[in-house]
Amino acid sequence: MKRILLFLSLMLITGSLVIAQTVLISGTVTGSEDGLPLPGVNITVKGTTVGAITGADGKYTLSAPAGSQALIFSFIGFVTQEVPIQSRTTINVVLRQDLYNIEEVVVVAYGTQQKRDITGAVSSVKGDAIKAVPVQSFDQALQGKAAGVSITLPNGVLNNVPVIRIRGFNSISGSSYPLIVVDGIPIATGNFGGNAITNALADINPADIQSMDILKDASATALYGSRAANGVIIITTKRGTGARTKVTYDGNVGLTQPYHLFEMMNAAQYIEHKNKAWQNLLGATAPQLSFVNDENGDPIDTRWADYVYQTGFQHNHTLSFSGSTPSTSYFLSAGYTDQEGMVKKNFYERKNARINLDHKLNKYVTLNANIAYTLGYTEAPNTGASFATAGAARLAFVLPPNLGPYKNDGSGDYNIEGSAIGRMGQPFPNLGYYNPVAIFNLNKFTTSTDRLLTTLSASVEPIKGLVLKTQYGIDYLNSETTTFQSPVTGDSYGSNGFAGNGYTKFKRWTWTNTANYNLVLREKFNIGLLAGAEEQYTTSVSWSGSKTNVADPFFKVYQGTWVTAGMGGGGIGENYFISYFGRASFNYNRKYYVEGSIRRDGFSGLAAGNKFGTFGGASVMWNASNEQFISNTLGSIFSDIRLKASYGRVGNISAVGDFSSLFLYGAGVYGAVPTLTFNQAGNADLQWETSDKYDVGLSFGLLNDKIQAEINYYYNDINGLVLSVPQSPSKGIPGNSIPANVGSMFNTGLELTLTSFNFSTAKFSWTTTLNFSTLKNEVTALAPGVTEILGITGGLETTNRTVVGKPVGGILAVETRGVDPETGRRIYLNAAGKEVLFYFENSGAERWKYRDGSGNAPQITTAADGKVMGSPLPKFFGGLDNNVTYQGFDLSLGLTYAFAFDVYSGSKAGLRDQRWWNNSVEVYETAWEQPGDITNIPKPVMNDNISNGSSFPISENIERGDYVKVRSISAGYTFRKLPTVTNIESIRLYAQIFNAFVFTKFSGSDPEVSTEGNSNIAPGIDRNTAPQARNFTFGASINF
Amino acid sequence: MKNILTISIVFALLLTIGCSKENLDPVPQTSLSDLSVFDTKDRVVAQVNGMYALTKSGNFLGGRFFVYNDVRAENFIPKSSNLVTCFATWNHSVVSSTNEVQNFWGAVYAAVNAINVFLEGLQVAWDGGKLDGKITQAEFDQFRSEALTLRALCYFDLLQLYAKPYNIGAGANPGVPLRLTAMKSAEGNDLARSTVAECYTQILKDLNDAEPLAATSYSTALLNTTRIHRNTIIALKTRVYLHMQNWANVVSESAKIVGQSTPPFSATSGVAFALNPSYADLWTTYTSAESIFSMPFTSTNTPGTQNGLPHYFNSASSESYYLNTSAGSVYATMNDTDVRKSSLVLADGNYFLSKYPDFTTLTNYAPVIRYAEVLLNRAEALVRSGGAVTAEALSLLNAVRTRSFPTGAYASFATVNDFYNAILLERNMEFLGEGMRNLDIMRLGIPIPAKNTSMGNVAEIPSTSTSYIWPMPANELGINKLLTPNK
Repeated sequence: MKRILLFLSLMLITGSLVIAQTVLISGTVTGSEDGLPLPGVNITVKGTTVGAITGADGKYTLSAPAGSQALIFSFIGFVTQEVPIQSRTTINVVLRQDLYNIEEVVVVAYGTQQKRDITGAVSSVKGDAIKAVPVQSFDQALQGKAAGVSITLPNGVLNNVPVIRIRGFNSISGSSYPLIVVDGIPIATGNFGGNAITNALADINPADIQSMDILKDASATALYGSRAANGVIIITTKRGTGARTKVTYDGNVGLTQPYHLFEMMNAAQYIEHKNKAWQNLLGATAPQLSFVNDENGDPIDTRWADYVYQTGFQHNHTLSFSGSTPSTSYFLSAGYTDQEGMVKKNFYERKNARINLDHKLNKYVTLNANIAYTLGYTEAPNTGASFATAGAARLAFVLPPNLGPYKNDGSGDYNIEGSAIGRMGQPFPNLGYYNPVAIFNLNKFTTSTDRLLTTLSASVEPIKGLVLKTQYGIDYLNSETTTFQSPVTGDSYGSNGFAGNGYTKFKRWTWTNTANYNLVLREKFNIGLLAGAEEQYTTSVSWSGSKTNVADPFFKVYQGTWVTAGMGGGGIGENYFISYFGRASFNYNRKYYVEGSIRRDGFSGLAAGNKFGTFGGASVMWNASNEQFISNTLGSIFSDIRLKASYGRVGNISAVGDFSSLFLYGAGVYGAVPTLTFNQAGNADLQWETSDKYDVGLSFGLLNDKIQAEINYYYNDINGLVLSVPQSPSKGIPGNSIPANVGSMFNTGLELTLTSFNFSTAKFSWTTTLNFSTLKNEVTALAPGVTEILGITGGLETTNRTVVGKPVGGILAVETRGVDPETGRRIYLNAAGKEVLFYFENSGAERWKYRDGSGNAPQITTAADGKVMGSPLPKFFGGLDNNVTYQGFDLSLGLTYAFAFDVYSGSKAGLRDQRWWNNSVEVYETAWEQPGDITNIPKPVMNDNISNGSSFPISENIERGDYVKVRSISAGYTFRKLPTVTNIESIRLYAQIFNAFVFTKFSGSDPEVSTEGNSNIAPGIDRNTAPQARNFTFGASINF
Repeated sequence: MKNILTISIVFALLLTIGCSKENLDPVPQTSLSDLSVFDTKDRVVAQVNGMYALTKSGNFLGGRFFVYNDVRAENFIPKSSNLVTCFATWNHSVVSSTNEVQNFWGAVYAAVNAINVFLEGLQVAWDGGKLDGKITQAEFDQFRSEALTLRALCYFDLLQLYAKPYNIGAGANPGVPLRLTAMKSAEGNDLARSTVAECYTQILKDLNDAEPLAATSYSTALLNTTRIHRNTIIALKTRVYLHMQNWANVVSESAKIVGQSTPPFSATSGVAFALNPSYADLWTTYTSAESIFSMPFTSTNTPGTQNGLPHYFNSASSESYYLNTSAGSVYATMNDTDVRKSSLVLADGNYFLSKYPDFTTLTNYAPVIRYAEVLLNRAEALVRSGGAVTAEALSLLNAVRTRSFPTGAYASFATVNDFYNAILLERNMEFLGEGMRNLDIMRLGIPIPAKNTSMGNVAEIPSTSTSYIWPMPANELGINKLLTPNK
């Protein structure tokens, strides 16, 4: 560290040499499009700090030191030009508009770089690309926008946390979720809600975002050290520019609906089918279902989905003010979002304000402040996927259609029997499932958050090129969840009502100090140096309380009077990072680039003596297009050719908890006395997971950069994966596992990004962006003696198996081969390769019989007979965007796609379950009836939950998930020449459909699904998950 | 320029940020380190109670163990076909990956290991002098006896569901893996099953070791019912010997706590067990002299919704089980004036137990062993060992029977078989909803009766069937390479 300081001081001295003799140069700068003068163009004398800015008339004058070689003209939105002086005193310049964004500046770790100088793998998405999309958080809109970045929305419930994977799965027990850095601060991510899921990223108004830069390889991410393995997404919010105060209003209104609901049996079909199934089980003694009449005497025929889903209304507004004076620039914004979901009683509301200020105190010192405050509110019924009897998506298809939500006596009372829906005299067993209308109306689940995200910094530039910066960031997130479950019916009928409140106080401060020095030696040696130190301290304190047995039905809140108070809960998390880092980058005449980064991290969660680790990355790049011999020969075709390579080692700390290394006892009670029990077998040897990332890339531009392409190949070797090494349950280790750094796997893939500016005139433009990624993931080692890691869905169903030699989270099922035409029984294949039929109505050993007639077979189980039957990781995925403008019109079409992957449709098992559950019409139409029937739906036998795959997964329910989605279609018109009296500069009116169409053969509601959310080991599972939402939006963007 | 130099130097110094030692070594505020759990007597006692708390898991003695053993047999019919609430156990369709098969195993072994960890830690702390002046030799002995007894109970209960009964093959069939040392690291996943006989040998060793070390009684009735003392151990031994069909030892052990040959029967030393005069009061007054060992619950310490006995037997639960009333059922056999029948709750046309009334907060204690069982164990063993129905045996049976059915006393039995049948019937009536029926079926190796109900027909399961006992759990089979599956 000291040596770096010494070096910086030397730089400081050499940089302040003063040159005496000067030459006066003047001229005019105009734009190529219209030939009009350009004000505000920045002119510098190459190799010096001498410069000037053009005035309103485009004219400039400057005193260049004698012997100066060239002037550099730069202006935002225009291509920078270097003009040799050649003894001239008048130099007029025509600047070409940067139509193809070749001058784009990209935010990288602890700094910015010009896109073409970046030696690592970085994808950039501009805020404009997502601002009008009716999502709750920016991550939802990033889908298909960047190569190598896969984003899955688990379902269409508001404010869900998308599953983000940058270059595949990087962990098994830990998280593969990337680090999110907002204006320099790594922020809290994930779900901060209870039943009403709340994405921590929704606290950032997408309309405030300037850019999202996604760092992918180790060279780009190395400065984030132990948190870099999953990639980094850097969010930069908008800042003020331009002398005039710019006022912008963005607003939209829209509607949302579920996309693709199942076609279920109607009451007549249901009664006929279930009676047949009952007959098949019990013969003559079978009970008979029948129509139930409503209060008007008409038979009840309920489409339960109509009571679960709705068309929701949404509106979003953002008003911002921005501008700058010579010393101060400002961006102020306020936003309001109010959205109803496609599920009834699902709401999201956000109120947010932001102030971004930059003030130049004097020639040397600059102060910056970003202050954002957000209030969020989410309300949702229980939309939990998997097996909850209150799960909204499940209730929409499981309930019998011959029952109604209200009693048929005209009283208007809910049709309930205790906790469950009422049977209306039908000979069902107790149904167990709830009446969705009743629980939607009676119960309430909310999450309220308030979030303060603030960065304050001061920078000193004692000499040109050297910036010393200190930055203090805070991320405070308070989240309150409330739960009220009515005593009338549903989950808390038994306890006579339930109220539970929870509060989480997440607090993080990050203090970062950096010294950044950029200098040019002999005009050709460009050097960038960075040294820094950072501390980050995070606490997360939560508490919760619950009460049952309400004193009076009037009370619907925790604070009301209840007879029984539950044991309070909560937790205290605490962790701390201390880090030192540095980066050196060098290029010779923008031809040969070398860059290296290093970071040393200390983390509190690791055992003493084991707390520190060092990470780093290095990269090289050759910009061939800047070579004379290349530009002379290939220059007419290739406007840009760059070859890159990088290597680095970064870490993933997410699998190491705050106290994972310790051997702990937890307290509890036995009746009314306190207890202490061994509840964590720690591991003092625990360490970060490490990723060795290799990347080679080729970027090129064709036809003056009209076509730009970037191709990357990566190989990411992950070692020391922390695995909860499963222990024999008979050992009785808490949680049946001990974490250890034992696993390894790799991801490899090819990424292609192609941008084609098909037309780029002022009148007409058409841009196409294609990104395409491949992904191969393979687990190469698990814990010694461990042959598999099982993924569990909903805590009940073993659905995934991770084994060495295969991708993580393979779908585990017993192979089935349709239905035996003779007997109508499901054909299972056992581990020995023999076909076995299942007879539900038999008992004991008679249930499983060999198909060849050779007698009883051992029962089929997942453990004995299951195998990996599908891969949930798409081998190819990406997006295709087209944007067209013609005069005032604009049109855009965004597609996303994923191919070569499988989804386990657990919902399909439910749709075919032969308990009293309603079935899809397909079951009514195609179930086996008599010998010779060729079908894949077996003979219905009442209560049979095995033949359909409910009891354990079968390959019948694994389907190809390949899809192409029309993610968004938008059309707009911009009015520019408005009467000056209105003070309006422009108005854009637009209409948009989000999640417009899905082209897929998958029979479930959507192949883009993740019942187990962010889990690495149970991906690709659809178990009673709500569908995706389709949104129609109309909006206006007005600039004053 | 000078100011700028100063500012720059200040900034440059910031780069050398110091590392905060304290922040880098945070101490958890909600858990205790293993290094400090023997620091005080209170913590040692808390660890003792912790072992009980683990055996009280909803998946084990907090509820489900009893439910499994009730619903496997013929007495109950489920309202719901929910797999979570034991439907697969009821219709004998459990497989190695069924939740109850895996969860029960896991819960019992979690308790076993906590017991082993405690026994080891206690011994180390005691030998190292760390407990000097904190606990006495008697307390040390007592804590050990409680741990050993709980371990024996864990293994005994495991055998009931995963191993063939002792009487089939004289204990030569595979039992369960015997974990007797503390497991704290990743080592030791593989352990073969001991035979049923070896398991019983270990169970008896633990009980016999524990008996002389145990407290003779505690200061309160609550402690006498919820903590193990000498007479608890003896009572449990009568059950263990009964399952081994070692009738002579049932007789000799029960003699220690049944001090009379004519009623009223009671224990004459230690905790004075006796039948509670009222059968109905047992379910609201949990700590009578009859409740030898029960699992306590409070509103802040419940078994969990789908685990608690009220969830399974209370009429208000949507997932409870009602009595099978078909001809020949225990319901049909009971006399209408028998309190055990007349106290049943009629709801929606079906009869439910009234033993677990607190469906709202699930605080009803779970009875592990009652004195009524000891009396019936002794009665049966006296006859089986002697080959004749003695007056003592008859009065023991009648003592239990006439409490609930005052006019129902048996005068005599024509054959010993009639007596055995009467004992079995009495046990079935007396312990409905207490997990006894399957235990009785198992120990005698008789078939599990068929069930013909609207929830499906379940055939009789003979003792030769693979469904007679549960399979080994899939999650254990997947890791423990020495574990052999049940055939």
